[in-house]
Amino acid sequence: METVITSALGQGLLYCFMILGVFMTFRVLDFPDLTVDGSLPLGAAVTAVAITNGYSPWLATIAGVVAGILAGLITGSLHLLLKSGDTSSTNYGPKLLAGILVMTALYTLNLRIMGRSNIPLLGKTTVFDEMGHWFSVNVTGWWLVLTLAVLMVILKYALDWFLHTEIGLAMQATGDNEQMLRSLGVNTNIVRVMGLGIANGFVALSGSLVAQYQGFADVGMGIGTIVAGLAGVIIGEVLFGTRSISWVLFSVVGGSIVYRLLIAVSLRIGIAPTDLKLLTAALVVVALSIPTVRRKVIRI
Amino acid sequence: MSDTGGLSLQGLTKVFFPRTVNEVIAVNHIDLRVEPGDFITVIGSNGSGKSTLLNSIAGNFPVTSGSIFLDGRDITTLPEHVRARSIGRVFQDPRAGTAPSMSIQENMAMAYMRGHRRGLRAGVPARLKREMAQQLAALGMGLETRLTAHVNKLSGGQRQAMSLFMATVSGPRLLLLDEHTAALDPKVAAIIMALTGKIVQERGLTTLMVTHNMELALQWGGRLIMMHSGKIILDVAGAQKESLTVADLIDKFHQCSGERLTSDKLLLE
Repeated sequence: METVITSALGQGLLYCFMILGVFMTFRVLDFPDLTVDGSLPLGAAVTAVAITNGYSPWLATIAGVVAGILAGLITGSLHLLLKSGDTSSTNYGPKLLAGILVMTALYTLNLRIMGRSNIPLLGKTTVFDEMGHWFSVNVTGWWLVLTLAVLMVILKYALDWFLHTEIGLAMQATGDNEQMLRSLGVNTNIVRVMGLGIANGFVALSGSLVAQYQGFADVGMGIGTIVAGLAGVIIGEVLFGTRSISWVLFSVVGGSIVYRLLIAVSLRIGIAPTDLKLLTAALVVVALSIPTVRRKVIRI
Repeated sequence: MSDTGGLSLQGLTKVFFPRTVNEVIAVNHIDLRVEPGDFITVIGSNGSGKSTLLNSIAGNFPVTSGSIFLDGRDITTLPEHVRARSIGRVFQDPRAGTAPSMSIQENMAMAYMRGHRRGLRAGVPARLKREMAQQLAALGMGLETRLTAHVNKLSGGQRQAMSLFMATVSGPRLLLLDEHTAALDPKVAAIIMALTGKIVQERGLTTLMVTHNMELALQWGGRLIMMHSGKIILDVAGAQKESLTVADLIDKFHQCSGERLTSDKLLLE
């Protein structure tokens, strides 16, 4: 049982940066960004290639994140091209299309970067090995959880701080009332592109860390990232609430952990790993309908 | 004309859906000179082009032809957000002027930043909180004690008061009011209008106020413009405007449009 919990906690924390990225796009920017299915394996691919070529795992991780940021910037720029002059912020067509196009292109790009569909990292030094070396421990089990928790807290507060800076407020307002922000003299297009870059940097960080933790990067590891991301965001919001931005950033991390716990339990009770995507989709539907059902029940 | 201050429109024309069966000439070769500090009310029936005129000046869309000068600078082709550095706007919908899921102080702080470069400084600095609490108290809407409340918790009147404040706090060169009291109940509308008059006068703002309401148009501002079919059909100021009555306006409208008044109930509101 303990291994199930530590493993779910570890997985939840590995993927919580992706969840924070999805939260940034989906909630803060009101931009359902499908790029994440491509930017997660992009982070993994770039990191794996860098590590196998002898670069420091730290540098390899940063390179993965930078690649993710670039992917987000491209999606944002493509969106501007696709919406061409349309200033309505509720037109999701160009947003979805921009994400789909970059996600699709990234599949090829990831294969090109890796040169094959899978790069093993067994026996290579990862950031987890490096950190374990400092404290003379094996970064697995609870040590992994602790390490990732520290990183999570640092990045959570960094994002929290950023979202409350002048630019950060503009980012929040871009998703909340874009016309208002434009009439206050802000170029909302640039703000959105920047936000997508940051969000996909977070997603790529998860990809990079997952690859280093599981010991390989695989071109297919990004499939279903957006749905898993939404599952984490929505579960977190429903279970832990949304009273403020600072609070909800923790909520979605909690959602990420609960989601991985549910996955672990599902596998334990004998659900086939191949059925997990269907289960996740069903989970998102259930979690999305909870607020509605709750309202209905109260009314009765 | 471009060497003087204020707002100048020269041959401004906006055609929607050009060269199609749906072609509409919403604004038709309008020339208008607005002196700095002028408070102009703009009336007209639905489809007269008054909102299109405002949107053209604000830069919501490119105009078909003509030029717009603000403070002597040609702004005709500048994007909306660049013009917005010197133009404040309040919309008809009280929800349009504020970010609903952000707090009062966050909304306000964004308005103080109009025309400034945004960086990584704190979005709501402590010194600003004190300043905005004082200024909000002057609105008399009870907003100063609720700085951290989300704007979607406020009433329509409170939100519109905030929108008005946010549009004017950075001292814009031009204020555009687009039927900004039309969606409010009469009592709240009167409060917001009084507040508008006070702010415009105190700050000496150059203002264009579009309205359906002839009483408002006569009561406020120093100059009145009536639009019909994309053209200005009446332009009065000073004593001439003072002596104008609703009946005069209806007559004038009648004369110029040749339409039965009953077909335009909205003008009578």
